[in-house]
Amino acid sequence: MKKDHVMKMAVAVLLSTLALGSSVFAGAPSGKKEATSTAAVVHYTDADSMRLQGEQRFRANCGRCHAAPQKFPPRLMATVVRHMRVRATITDQDMRLVLFYMTQ
Amino acid sequence: MGFSLLYPCQKTALRRRQGVALLGARALLFLLLLPTWLVAQTAENEKPVPILSGSAGAFSFVSGGQNLIDTQINPVLLVPLGDRWLVESRVEFEGKFQRPPDGGPYRGPVNKHVDYAQVDYIASPYVTITAGRFLTPFGIFNERLYPVWIRALQPDPLILPINTAPSDGAMLRGGFQVNAKANMNYAAYISATSIGIGSVDSERHVGGRIGFFFPGPRLEVGGSWQKTLQDDRKNAFGFHMGWQPTKAPLNLRSEYAHSFEGSGYWIEGAYRLSQARFWQKAIRRTEVVARAQQFYTGGISSDAATQLGLSSANTSEADFGVNYFLRDGLKAVASYGRQFSPAGNFNQWTYGVAYRFLIPLGRVGAP
Repeated sequence: MKKDHVMKMAVAVLLSTLALGSSVFAGAPSGKKEATSTAAVVHYTDADSMRLQGEQRFRANCGRCHAAPQKFPPRLMATVVRHMRVRATITDQDMRLVLFYMTQ
Repeated sequence: MGFSLLYPCQKTALRRRQGVALLGARALLFLLLLPTWLVAQTAENEKPVPILSGSAGAFSFVSGGQNLIDTQINPVLLVPLGDRWLVESRVEFEGKFQRPPDGGPYRGPVNKHVDYAQVDYIASPYVTITAGRFLTPFGIFNERLYPVWIRALQPDPLILPINTAPSDGAMLRGGFQVNAKANMNYAAYISATSIGIGSVDSERHVGGRIGFFFPGPRLEVGGSWQKTLQDDRKNAFGFHMGWQPTKAPLNLRSEYAHSFEGSGYWIEGAYRLSQARFWQKAIRRTEVVARAQQFYTGGISSDAATQLGLSSANTSEADFGVNYFLRDGLKAVASYGRQFSPAGNFNQWTYGVAYRFLIPLGRVGAP
């Protein structure tokens, strides 16, 4: 019985460790900097603040190459932003804020 | 007997252990997948939808008194798959029509080719893996400014053909924040084949580009490099910069390229008249552009240079243009340029329209 208890404890500890580890890796797959980026995004709890940040990022990133387009529906904009993330190598954080701004 | 008495106990313990292990394995699998599943969840109304986008244009280039009508359509297909994949492709259909020297209707070839057909996997916020045919990341014009609805002046820069033929291979690229004041972007690739403009020559290359963007002053600087992995293993390199001051609607860009085939630079400024205090409705849609550029021949013959699309002699050129944005994605363009070279000086007039289209290939809901 004692052996079973120890085994259950070991399994629980192992699962907790793995769950914590996988959460960290899934939520912030690239480590410390991404954690910082995510925290920065989450920090803008106020929608207006996020919109303002998004507009700034939009003008700084998208405006480097082309004139500001009109706003599109979210599903369409999500594809455009993914394409531009690859094409223009904009950062993950900038992409999220631009997407938020362009779909509000 | 002893064995038969002990066996049920052992069996029960074994089963219990197996049950615990199985339960643990199921829980482990669930817990391992849960965070990924949670992160991967995208709201239904934010799921990216396939898109057919691209640009179309019709232009008249009058060079040295000879008119060339250029019509083109460049569809771009974007197919997002899941949360991390994107399949993208651009095809160019371009007709160049001229009136024959002996008169008659305009006629000419219609060229078509695949600019890129690539699969992108966003492996992490720092790395995107690309495979297939992709635009060679050498300088910024080829990748970012080439589409007719984006470029400020329709005539190509003289140095555009340098190291910008599409690459077939694999690439790592990405962009991330270095600190609060700077972002870094990079691309590194190896291409098994590179199809030259107007030929089927193939070469093996390795190269990359690195850039730093400073969001405060909106300044980007960077450099590119490419090495040919055969014959005399030539190196080519380039530098680029872009600046959009926050206090003026000015867009200043420049590129320099040096290779065995030739070298040169261009510098371009585009100013949007959005701050004008008169005729605001019309003037704010207007953009004036100026570009200066020079090209110096390299170590290849003039015939080879012409085949690549480069000038066959040292050349200088100045261009001035006006763009009028009729509405989102549609602009009328006009420009005048003069080219100076030992082969002869001439004027170049350009006028036309450029259009960007965007067609969702699925339900997108309301904006």
